[in-house]
Amino acid sequence: MPVSAYLIVSALLFTIGAVGVLVRRNPLVMFMSIELMLNAVNLSFMAFARFLNSVEGWIFVFLVLTVAAAEVVVGLAIIVSIFRSRRNIDVDELNLLKG
Amino acid sequence: MTFEQVLFFVLAAVALASGLGVILFRNAVYSMLSLILNLLSLAFFFLMLNGMFIATIQVLIYAGAVMVLFLFVVTMLTSDDARVGGPDRLRWQWGAGFLLAVIFAGALSLALLQGTVARDACTLDPQGCLAAQVAKNGNTETFGLALFHAYSFPFEVTSVLLVIAVLGAVVLGQRALRAGREAPVEQNGAAEREPEEASNAR
Repeated sequence: MPVSAYLIVSALLFTIGAVGVLVRRNPLVMFMSIELMLNAVNLSFMAFARFLNSVEGWIFVFLVLTVAAAEVVVGLAIIVSIFRSRRNIDVDELNLLKG
Repeated sequence: MTFEQVLFFVLAAVALASGLGVILFRNAVYSMLSLILNLLSLAFFFLMLNGMFIATIQVLIYAGAVMVLFLFVVTMLTSDDARVGGPDRLRWQWGAGFLLAVIFAGALSLALLQGTVARDACTLDPQGCLAAQVAKNGNTETFGLALFHAYSFPFEVTSVLLVIAVLGAVVLGQRALRAGREAPVEQNGAAEREPEEASNAR
């Protein structure tokens, strides 16, 4: 398969993730959409590593995995603490901008 | 069609369908399971692209560890479905979102199809390029050599990032624990008092 086939799958997955962040109201699903976008970019990195024959793509995927793990840990902690103080995690309801 | 092409199209269909499932399922647990399927199909893509080590850590770390953590929180916060629900006050967001998605995907595909392919590193450096190194050293060894020789500084920065993330999660969890121990009435009282105090101070 040519490299553009992988890149188009990656672009479509990234678009799906972006739409998820825009339209969903559950912050957990928005988080999953962010994971989807990160993984779409990982697919591009792997395709470029394979077709340009350079190891940098793998290194980038490794670093993206690490950053995604850190982001999930902190983001979920924030969502849990919002849930504990408000009993409601609908992002449209979180419009007060005060403690 | 060769076997590789059939595999590619099946995997692409699974990846896109499960990606759509993430944003279209109403129940967040189904979205979660759909995301895990998506990550596994991407791991198969990585295998097709000769990235065995990356495919392995994709399955172990991402689809395994990170998603288990995610699933714990999702099942904890969506025990009754009514909490995120009710009338959607911003329904037009869906239309606007899909319009923007079509424009975005079209622009990306156009850029991809019109772009020129960069030079393969093997034409410049037949000994040091990825395919030659993998053939000589093996997949994981190649990755490890690159990570610990050429890219050891980003690797060390990664450890600092992980420590910061763990500390941040501990601090956030601690505050949530303290708020949970207090009686909810007291907490509401405190939340109501705060604006008054702020206005008095002003």
